[in-house]
Amino acid sequence: MSTILRVTLGQASLAGDHDTNQDFHGALLPRGHQLASKGIALALADGISSSQVSQIASQTAVRSFLDDYYATSEAWSVRRAAERVLSATNAWLHSQTMGGDGRFEKDRGYVCTFSALILKGRDLHLVHVGDSRIYRVHTNALEQLTEDHRVRLSATESYLGRALGTGAHVEIDYRSWEAEPGETYLLATDGAYGHLQADDVHQALQQHPQDPDAAATHLVSLARSRGSDDDATLQLLRIDALPASTTLHPQLCREGLSLPPILAPRMEFEGFTILREIQVSARSHLHLAVDKASGRQYVIKTPSVDLCQDADYLDRFVLEEWIARRVDSPHVIKTWPGERPRSHLFVAMEFIDGQTLAQWMRDNPAPPLDSVRGVIEQLAHGLQALHRREMLHQDLRPENVMIDHQGTVKLIDLASAHVEGLAECHRDALVTPVPGTLQYIAPEYLLGQGGSQRSELFALAAITYQMLTGQLPYGLDLARVRSPQDLRSLRYVPVRHHRPELPTWVDAVLAKALQPDPARRQEVISEFIQDLKAPGAQFKNPRTPPLIERNPVLFWKSATALLSLTVIALIAWRILER
Amino acid sequence: MAYLAPAEFVTKMVDAGESKLLMSTRDTLIRAYMAGAILALAAAFAVSVSVNTGNPLVGALLFPVGFCMLYLLGFDLLTGVFTLAPLAVMDKRPGATWNGVMRNWSLVFTGNFAGAMTVAVFMAIIFTNGFTEAPNAIGQKIGHIGEGRTVGYAAHGAAGMLTLFIRAVMCNWMVSTGVVAAMMSTSVSGKVIAMWMPILVFFYMGFEHSIVNMYLFPSGLMLGGNFTFMDYMIWNEIPTVLGNLVGGLTFVGATLYSTHYKTAPKRRAA
Repeated sequence: MSTILRVTLGQASLAGDHDTNQDFHGALLPRGHQLASKGIALALADGISSSQVSQIASQTAVRSFLDDYYATSEAWSVRRAAERVLSATNAWLHSQTMGGDGRFEKDRGYVCTFSALILKGRDLHLVHVGDSRIYRVHTNALEQLTEDHRVRLSATESYLGRALGTGAHVEIDYRSWEAEPGETYLLATDGAYGHLQADDVHQALQQHPQDPDAAATHLVSLARSRGSDDDATLQLLRIDALPASTTLHPQLCREGLSLPPILAPRMEFEGFTILREIQVSARSHLHLAVDKASGRQYVIKTPSVDLCQDADYLDRFVLEEWIARRVDSPHVIKTWPGERPRSHLFVAMEFIDGQTLAQWMRDNPAPPLDSVRGVIEQLAHGLQALHRREMLHQDLRPENVMIDHQGTVKLIDLASAHVEGLAECHRDALVTPVPGTLQYIAPEYLLGQGGSQRSELFALAAITYQMLTGQLPYGLDLARVRSPQDLRSLRYVPVRHHRPELPTWVDAVLAKALQPDPARRQEVISEFIQDLKAPGAQFKNPRTPPLIERNPVLFWKSATALLSLTVIALIAWRILER
Repeated sequence: MAYLAPAEFVTKMVDAGESKLLMSTRDTLIRAYMAGAILALAAAFAVSVSVNTGNPLVGALLFPVGFCMLYLLGFDLLTGVFTLAPLAVMDKRPGATWNGVMRNWSLVFTGNFAGAMTVAVFMAIIFTNGFTEAPNAIGQKIGHIGEGRTVGYAAHGAAGMLTLFIRAVMCNWMVSTGVVAAMMSTSVSGKVIAMWMPILVFFYMGFEHSIVNMYLFPSGLMLGGNFTFMDYMIWNEIPTVLGNLVGGLTFVGATLYSTHYKTAPKRRAA
């Protein structure tokens, strides 16, 4: 028996009566260790014909599935990886649907079916939503492995019961079974399978035994000639050889990786040589290491002893690398691009030679507005890169911001990040501890209302405030908030109390971004950045604030002085009267 | 029993100290009240055991149950926050100030005192059948415990005050070691074992613990001890609080912090 996985693949797609082909299909046959750790993936999607944009949905679904599935942690099972990637794609498609015509009519939105087959080791995995089908080809029959998520209203009327992009959450069918060499599988959209019989498939396979592409092309044109007016797409997968036995268990999960030893300088670890300790805390251990293959320096992050029993923490731990791989921004930390198989649980990140923002603030106690703006703007770009992927950083604080020697600001520590679509629905949102650091967290988190991009804006503005003044905008009162009543007692201390030379509009902009009520903040981060650079007229109120606001101490001093003068005058008058 | 590397549990200490400063007034008071009450109950229990067995060692061996209970339930004693809260300021955590530390200390003092007083009244009722008869043997023991440790010190003047202060320092050296030791382990059994040892030492040696005294002395006054409330305050509680503060801060907090936790901010990249 061969020890290498070998398959033959055939694919074909034909547009229906309209010009654009709303079907999309793809397959990925990786090489090297990814073949073992991730396997081969075939995916097809069928955009709903009532929508003008569903071809974008089907393309996005297949492309992002094939890209993102291979970017998921090796520590994840196929099921988990596929489901998480699809949930994320679904969330994105849904947000596009909600942003366009599909908001009111779902059948005009970014909606598509999705079926994929993943062959990893000796196991096949199926993920499916919608009415495309996956068949196993037997010698004289076709066995349908998927269920059509189609709701029939009458003999002629039916609609798609489940699909990507219709709702914020989607239930995804999953099956897995052991593959046999010589088996053939068929993936098809309704435009193809609706007009084909089992015999047609067998004949096509017999006519083109060595060329499944030709067989697939033959079958889709056959479907067209039989009157299919819809887009027809068909994929064939023949399993020629399977690896002898799976070294990687099909249900490989995080537990499949062992916990790393406590690292020490000069130690060899997973192809890295450990150089020195960077930081050891109760959350994680960071070590500087050299990748022996590339000779470049990386930071190795390993779980702390304290938390290595905590399943949630370890799940988040593997998530961090996954997130960093999905986000491509100069202002967000990058991961080690290496592809070596791993036996331990660890995260390798780029080494940023520089200082944390916390240190920068200590070095620059009263910085000019311009340099603060420079840092905050870059930080905002990093956050926006996350937001574009429907992610929230959730732990924005000066310790999690690095400034390198060239002055580039980078966001680090994505371990608390929230990924829309990955958020586990089964977990009770109320018992989830407050993410992030209490001093910078937006008050809505503390009230259990969950975060949004405006919560990130709050944290960003809090950091801006701290950079300018060295203080927190609400002191520690914010961290002690427990109820909406507490929110009302929060008092924003103007920046100008600490730095009277700053322009008044800075206070107006910051006060808006630091509103305890998220609805009263700027809508998006870019608006805040714009306000910081070119404040609108509403912030440049020509009215000079009353003395009691500008300088309450002076006000009370003058008031008291006036009063004492009056008292003296009255006494003097009384004496003179006599 | 998992054991954490010192550098790990010292960061946990600083984090714990920071969280004390960030705690809302309500939570701080409730947690302090419960801690004071549970520790007072444990003190009453330990004295009962000592009187009934006639052997103070048995009482001391069992006294740590109270401390373990309150620690595992997440309640705060003044002795613990004396050690932990200042670490957040030393580490320059955002927003951490000495004002915040003083606020926390005074809230925890108030809560502990109220909790201990509650148990003192409850136990006095139990020992005297609702103030209808003379205190039983345990009640009498508690009533007179306070005498030697107030007017007894006063009799020695400045030397007595010094002794009292040093005993209070030694006390929180041990008790805070217990708090910190509990952070070294991740399992409940490990935490309990780690806490038990130093608490046992402090109780048997008769060191002065400000919260235990918040129970023993007011109880003593209720059960017929021959000393006044002012004796208790001047010749016990106030010097004990100060001694506890010095002991926890210098011998536990500052030492571990400076040796295991590098104060210089470091480069980090993830």
